[in-house]
Amino acid sequence: MNAAIDPLEISALVRIMDELDYYQLLNVDPKASTTDIRKAYHASSRSFHPDANRTLNEDLRGHCGNISKRITEAYCVLRDSRRRSAYDSKRAEGDSLRIKLADAKTSHTKQRKAQARGATPQGRQFHAKAESDLKAGNLAGAIQNLQMALTFEAGNVGFKALVAELRERRKASSERPS
Amino acid sequence: MAEIAVGIDLGTSNTCVSMMQNGEVKVLENAFGERTSASVVHFHEDGSVEVGNSAKAKVIHAPAQTVRSAKRLIGRYHFSEEVKKAQAVYAYEIVEAPNHGVRIEIREEEFSLPEISAMVLREMKQIAERHAGDNVTQAVITVPAYFNDNQRQATKDAGRIAGLDVLRILNEPTAAALAYGFGMGLNQRVAVYDLGGGTFDISVLEIGKDIFEVLATCGDTFLGGDDLDDRIIDLLADDFVGKYKINPRNDPYAYEKLKLAAENAKKALSIDEETLVVIDEVMKSAEGETLGLERTITRSEFSQLTHDLIMRTFKVCDEALQQSDLTVRDLDGVILVGGPTRLPMIREAVAHYFQQEPRGDVDPDEVVSIGAAIHAASLVGEAPDSMLLDVTPLDLRIGVAGGLAEPVIERNTPVPIEQTRTFTTFQDHQESVQIRVYQGDHRQADENAMLGQFEFSGFSKGLRSDVKIDVTFEINADGIVKVTASDQATGQEASTQITLSSGLAEEQIERIIEQDVAGRVATGAKAESAAQKQIAPITINGDVPGATAAKVDFVEYSPFGDGKTDLSEGFDNDIKLGDVSEAELDLVDDDELIQLTQEADMDIGAEGITLEMPADQAPDDDDDGLFETSGGDLAGPQIQLTDEKK
Ligand SMILES: Nc1ncnc2c1ncn2[C@@H]1O[C@H](COP(=O)(O)OP(=O)(O)OP(=O)(O)O)[C@@H](O)[C@H]1O
Ligand SMILES: [Mg+2]
Repeated sequence: MNAAIDPLEISALVRIMDELDYYQLLNVDPKASTTDIRKAYHASSRSFHPDANRTLNEDLRGHCGNISKRITEAYCVLRDSRRRSAYDSKRAEGDSLRIKLADAKTSHTKQRKAQARGATPQGRQFHAKAESDLKAGNLAGAIQNLQMALTFEAGNVGFKALVAELRERRKASSERPS
Repeated sequence: MAEIAVGIDLGTSNTCVSMMQNGEVKVLENAFGERTSASVVHFHEDGSVEVGNSAKAKVIHAPAQTVRSAKRLIGRYHFSEEVKKAQAVYAYEIVEAPNHGVRIEIREEEFSLPEISAMVLREMKQIAERHAGDNVTQAVITVPAYFNDNQRQATKDAGRIAGLDVLRILNEPTAAALAYGFGMGLNQRVAVYDLGGGTFDISVLEIGKDIFEVLATCGDTFLGGDDLDDRIIDLLADDFVGKYKINPRNDPYAYEKLKLAAENAKKALSIDEETLVVIDEVMKSAEGETLGLERTITRSEFSQLTHDLIMRTFKVCDEALQQSDLTVRDLDGVILVGGPTRLPMIREAVAHYFQQEPRGDVDPDEVVSIGAAIHAASLVGEAPDSMLLDVTPLDLRIGVAGGLAEPVIERNTPVPIEQTRTFTTFQDHQESVQIRVYQGDHRQADENAMLGQFEFSGFSKGLRSDVKIDVTFEINADGIVKVTASDQATGQEASTQITLSSGLAEEQIERIIEQDVAGRVATGAKAESAAQKQIAPITINGDVPGATAAKVDFVEYSPFGDGKTDLSEGFDNDIKLGDVSEAELDLVDDDELIQLTQEADMDIGAEGITLEMPADQAPDDDDDGLFETSGGDLAGPQIQLTDEKK
C-alpha cells in the first residue's frame, strides 16, 4: 500500500497533535453528525492507518502510528452520544482536550445489561427470581423460573442459553455419584 | 518483479493457503490436489514430520505421536481449563514448561505450541513455493477474532519459526468479509457467522467501497465442530458402556476411532437424514474378543444433542448486535464461515435468528484464506488498497487491590489505540512497581486471561504519591498488546512487550529458528536427542503467577485526591471510589448475567461505593502493612485505585 499523504504533513500534524481537540483532529465541525464523524474517521484512516504506510521510513511510520491511535481515540469518543456529551462539557470548561475512555462509558453499556436481565417486566421479574434461586443453590427452581421468564420473552436467547446451561449442570450433578 | 505475499487460514482442523496472482486470488492445492490440509502434525520415528490429511490418517494408529487441534492450546497456560480438557481427550503428551507454559512431548522431545503450528505453516509455505516457483517469505495469517493477546503473539511467533515475515495478524471474520466485499463497491452491513473446528466468532461489519469497518465482534474460543463431535462420541460411548460395561474413553485408540466415526457421522448428517455408524472393532475385551458398535443417528437426534451448543452461538450473536447498536433487521447480508455451517440444522437456525437466508455464494472453507491473500497482496502493493478497521475483542484490564481488574480499554474499541493511566507509589522511597495486565470481561481478576506482568523500576525515588508513573497501554492493528511505563518527572521510559509463561522468550525463538525445527517438515531430518535440544527456562518479567502473593505497591495517581488518606483506607480491605457517578455504577454493576460464583457484597453509600470483600477473601495485613492474598491465588492485589472523579 502506498501512503496517500505528504511526509511534511505527517511531521507537522504529529507536532501539533497534542494541541488539537477531537473535532480538530478529525477535521469536523463540533456540530457534525455521527455519519460525518464516521466518514472523517475513514478518511483519516486512509492516510494514517498502519496498513496505509508500509512504504514510509521508520520515523514517519512511527508518527503515523501515533496519529492513527489518536484519531481512533477521537472517533471512539465522538461516535457515541453519551461519551460525546461528556467530552463536550469537559471541553467547554476548557478542562482538557482528551478524555479517558474508561471514564466515559458508552451509551449501550446500560442497555446491554438491561436486555440481559429481560426486556419485559415479567421477564425481568422471573429472571431475578431465577437469579436468587441460583444464589441459594436451587438449580431446579432457577430453571423453572427461567422457563416462566421465557413464556413472556420467547425470543430471549440469553434466557434460553442459560436454561440449557443449567440443565446441563443439573444433568452433570445428578450423574455424579454422591 | 512482483512481490509475493500469501494468505494463510491456520485453522483448528484445517489450514488453507491462497495467493493473489495477476489480479486473481487462487486457493493453492497441496501435492495431493487438496485445497485444504488437516492441521495435523505426525512425528515419524526418525524425527521427520508429516503434515496434513495423510498425517490425520495416522491418528488412529499412532495417537500419541500425532498432534491435532494444536490451536486449542496455543497461547494458553498449563493450568487452564482447555489444557486440562485436552489432556483428558488427546493421546499425545501435554506437559508443563517452566512458568506455566505448555509443551507437547513426543518421543522424549518437547515442542512448544508455536513450533507445532510452525510445522503446519511451513507446509503451507512449501505449497505456495511450488505454485509460485519462487521463495515465499511474506504472509498474512488469520486468527479467530476472539483470540487474546497471548494467542495472537504465539501465532505470530509460529509464523517466524516457519520462516515467514508475518505482515499482519488478521481476524478470520474480517478476512471473510474482505473476500466477500472486495472490489464490489458495496455499501452494506453484514454479519459473519464463523463456526469452525474449535472456535466461534461473530463479527458485524459495515462495508463501504474500500472500507471494512468492524462494528463489533464477539466469540467463544471453546466452541466448534469438535464439540459437536464430542456429543456424538458421548452417545456412542454410552451405548458401548451399556452393552459391554467397558468405557472406551479410557483407551486412546478406541477413543480416536470413536472420534473419527463421530466426525464422519456429523458430516454425513449435513447430507442425509440419518446415518449408520459401524465400527467393527472399537477395542478388545480383556479376554481378547472383538467389541464392535453399530448405531443409527438421525438428524433430529443430533440436533437435540447439540441444541444448547447452537443456542450458545446465538447468545454471542445477541451480544455482538447489541454492541454494534444494530438489530437483525439492519443487516444486508449474513456470511457463513467454517465447516459446521454446512449442516442444514445450523443454516436453518442461522436463517431463523437473522430473519434472512445466509449468502449462498461464499465457500465456508476457503473464504478466510482468500481474504487473507487479498490483504497480503494489498499490503505489498499488488492489489488495490482496502482499509480494514478492526476492533479489540476483549476488555483490557489492569489488576487492582482486592483481586479485581479495572478496564482500561473496553472490548470492541477500534484499534490501533492507546490509553495512559497515571499511578503513584504506595510507599516512601519505593524502588519498583509491578503491573499485571488482563484481558476479559470479568471484574474478578483471576477470571480473566492474564497477559503478563511487568516490573518497572529506575524511576526517581521519592515520597509515596510524589512519584508519578505514566503507564501506557497500546493495542496495535494486529490486536497485540504493549505496555510501557515512564516516569513523569524524568521522562525515563521502560518498555516491554508482554510475554508470560505460555509465550516464548526472544532468545528461545531465535534458537528454535536456528535449529530449523520447521525444516523437518521438508527434510525429514534425523531426530536430535532430547539432550541436544535443550529448552532454556522461560524468563518472564516479575513474578510467576500463583507462586507468591503480590504486594500492593502503587496507587493510581489522582490530581485532586490526597493519596495518603486513600492509603490508610487501603488497609481496611476496601476499594473506595469517589463520587457515585453513573459511569462508576456501571462499572461496579458490570457483572455476569447471573453471577454463578460468590461475589463481594456491595454497599452503595451516600459518599461512594464500597466493595467489601467476604471474610474468607479478605487480605491479611502482614508485617510491612502490605496486603497478601490468602492461598497465593493469581489475583493478588497490586494497585490501589484511587481514581477520584474530577
Ligand atoms: N460437511 C460438514 N458437515 C458438518 N461439519 C463439517 C463438515 N465439513 C467439515 N465439518 C466440520 O468442520 C470443522 C472444521 O471446520 P473448519 O475447517 O472451518 O475449522 P477450522 O478453520 O480448522 O477451525 P477454526 O476456524 O475454529 O480454527 C470440523 O469439526 C469438521 O468436522
Ligand atoms: Mg476457520
